[in-house]
Amino acid sequence: MSAILDVRDLRKAYAGVSALDGISFAVEAGSITGLIGPNGSGKSTAIDCISGFQKLDGGRVVLADADITGRSPHLIARAGLTRTFQTVRIYERLSLRDNLAIATQQFDPATWIDELLRTRRYREAVAAGDSRARELVALVGLERYWDIETGVLSYGQKKLVALAAALMPRPRIVVLDEPVAGVNPTRIREIEAALASLNRAGETFLIVEHNVEFITSLCHRVIVLEEGRKLAEGTSAEIHADSRVLEAYLGTTSEIAAAEMRATA
Amino acid sequence: MNIDALYLVQLTLNGLMLGLLYALIAAGLSLIFGVMEIINFAHGELLMLGAYAMAFVLPVVGLLYWPALVAAVVGVMLAGLLIYEVLLAQLKPEEFERSILITLGLSIVLIHTMQLLFTATPRLVDTQYGFDGIEIGSIRITWTRVIGAGAAVGAFAGLYLVLHHTQFGRAMRAIAQNREAALMVGIRPRSVARNAVTLAAGLCGLAGAAISPIQLVTPYMGQFLIFKAFALVIIGGLGNIPGAIVAALVLGLIESLIGGFFEIVWQEAAVFVIMILVLFLRPDGLFKQGGMRVG
Amino acid sequence: MRQLALALVVALAFAALPLLTTSNYIVGVGVSALIFTVAAAALNLIYGYTGLLSFAQLGFWGVGGYASALTVVSFGGSFWWGVIWAAAINAMLAILIGFPMLRTSRHAFVIGSLTFALLATLVARDWVDLTRGPLGIPNLPPPSAFGIAFDTTAKFYWIAWAFSVAMLALLYALCSSRIGRTLIAIRQNEDLVRAQGISPTPYKLSAFTISAAVTGAAGGVYSFHLGIIDPTFLDFYYMQTFLIIVIIGGTGSFWGVLASGIVLSALPEALRFSADFRMIIYGAILVLAMFVMPGGVAGWFRDRAIARQREALG
Repeated sequence: MSAILDVRDLRKAYAGVSALDGISFAVEAGSITGLIGPNGSGKSTAIDCISGFQKLDGGRVVLADADITGRSPHLIARAGLTRTFQTVRIYERLSLRDNLAIATQQFDPATWIDELLRTRRYREAVAAGDSRARELVALVGLERYWDIETGVLSYGQKKLVALAAALMPRPRIVVLDEPVAGVNPTRIREIEAALASLNRAGETFLIVEHNVEFITSLCHRVIVLEEGRKLAEGTSAEIHADSRVLEAYLGTTSEIAAAEMRATA
Repeated sequence: MNIDALYLVQLTLNGLMLGLLYALIAAGLSLIFGVMEIINFAHGELLMLGAYAMAFVLPVVGLLYWPALVAAVVGVMLAGLLIYEVLLAQLKPEEFERSILITLGLSIVLIHTMQLLFTATPRLVDTQYGFDGIEIGSIRITWTRVIGAGAAVGAFAGLYLVLHHTQFGRAMRAIAQNREAALMVGIRPRSVARNAVTLAAGLCGLAGAAISPIQLVTPYMGQFLIFKAFALVIIGGLGNIPGAIVAALVLGLIESLIGGFFEIVWQEAAVFVIMILVLFLRPDGLFKQGGMRVG
Repeated sequence: MRQLALALVVALAFAALPLLTTSNYIVGVGVSALIFTVAAAALNLIYGYTGLLSFAQLGFWGVGGYASALTVVSFGGSFWWGVIWAAAINAMLAILIGFPMLRTSRHAFVIGSLTFALLATLVARDWVDLTRGPLGIPNLPPPSAFGIAFDTTAKFYWIAWAFSVAMLALLYALCSSRIGRTLIAIRQNEDLVRAQGISPTPYKLSAFTISAAVTGAAGGVYSFHLGIIDPTFLDFYYMQTFLIIVIIGGTGSFWGVLASGIVLSALPEALRFSADFRMIIYGAILVLAMFVMPGGVAGWFRDRAIARQREALG
């Protein structure tokens, strides 16, 4: 398996304080990789920079052999990297179907002329989009809401919508920013199951999370950040046993700390 | 050469006084924007109310300038307080367009109510000073202008003191610089906003009262000035009070000088042309945006 | 589909207005209603759909009015060319000022748009060589085509009718297309739109340009209805009218704004209040609407529909 996403030596500073201090890691195609770390470790900044929403001061981001460093967010999305946001972002006043249709709009070949003349290309694009949308909607169990404005959904359901939208254009990698933050435990298990199922079907994920238990049960590899630097990297088991990681999270090395870390949500 | 120099001095003095007037309006607008992130479309009407208040109070106090001025300013501040409580208090910072439409509606209601009640006939306001003034050579400045300018300068000094040496003033600067941080340390946005609107109204009321003896008072007088004030706030950088004041003073000078040597159309268009240029080159305003950094 | 059929019926009914009454006054109100509705629908495109509160519409309206008048009076063209020029010039202006303005913050955009409108007013009043200044250009000749002179209010009404139907059809096609849906998405969450591979700026610029062209064309037609163009054509009253129509109808609702435009244009005439009183009511409605019905009439219906859906889903 080769690396679908390769970030090297990311650097970013705000007003003299460095948020990213030379972070490098790679995400294998077809894997679920976790990115964890205490508050202020640079997780959110890292993915904002990777996805183009913030500017890097230094470093490179390579997506499937294409250098996407410094590109605008929409170009990075077109290159095959989609993402969700920490504060769930969906189009609350549009239906579930429309939410998903927009997510794939840029990626189908139909232009406005096609739409105006209702050409076959347009009709086929819409049909393909709808069929993919129905697949994803079925996966996350939201079929009843197909034509309903997503604003009526619960917080957890909106997170599922955001996830489905990020998957619509068949991206090379999906970056999830705290997908289960603020979500109730039952829903967390649903999301975990959905992600595992999608991964078995070939999707690649990079997940940023605070919920260490979620990450360790789902991810093949985990990368731990601390204060803008990569602290450790390995499988979940390796990370759990790593005393540096435990110390970073709680300042102590002990079984209790390990248990506390598992319970962190 | 002598005459030209004196002409220039006259123009400069006029320009400075004009600039002070613009600055009073623009500073208030900038203050409100910095604290609430809304643009007050009814700001010009607060000035108009100050002018009308002056027009009505003066005859009652025997044309004495200062009592009338104080009464007018206090009156407009109360109006500002009322406007805040009734209309603006529930607005959130993201509701920019909604705030514009609310204040626009208020502006329409105020202008046409005044017109309905008092007609559009321009009023001449007389004070104890009449048309007396001081003369320096062939330059003549009326007392009303001098005192008006002095009151404006005094108001800015007061504003500076309030923003830097009182708690509620510092709270205003805190919210303007970093809203989230300010909220986290317990600054209460509603009382800060209330204070800001009242203060801004006071500045406008002062401007209106000060120019009422100088310029004809009509229901539309605020309208002519407010659009320039909007442009000044953009040029200075939204939320940047010193920036707005500097821009206002410079504009006053530029307008006066242009008006003295070129056609009127350029004088009027000057501010808008400058604003468009600024938007082209420095979309965040000439000075750094947001936060009331003084100096 | 049912909506379109209904709209077609209503459109035909409107075409019949001059046949139903001999009052020039009423037909004149009809012309205003149609043209104002078009301008409001254009404002809805840039504000209701895309979320950009553009006061520049007033400027485009005025430039359009002058463009068509000058085409006929100063350049010897026909009314039809005048309207086309009105649209074209405003489209170019929109691209020119849209570029810098769309790069700035929302706040600066609104004020910049206001400034453009004011500059247009200043030019109309003070650039006497071009616009004839405060006196304006009176006695605009009635349009003619194929030897027919549209010199009565009733005949002009049909021009206004055909124009409005065409413009509204164009806007409807746009608003109900994927482009319209993307504009709505941009208004709601621009960052999400970017994260989905769409660059918002071309969409915003297109919406701005199209709304400018349509508004300009509307102004170009209206100046000939008035028979005179002067700086009062750029009076803020027109902007307020368009705004109130959009807000009462419901921002982002095509049919809501359409209905609102017809009703709100006809209503003040029916009520015959004094100008000041009418404006006070306008202002009060504006303020009240922002508190009670920020989504307008259409928004109120939508909220009820959603509440019902919520109940049904349990």
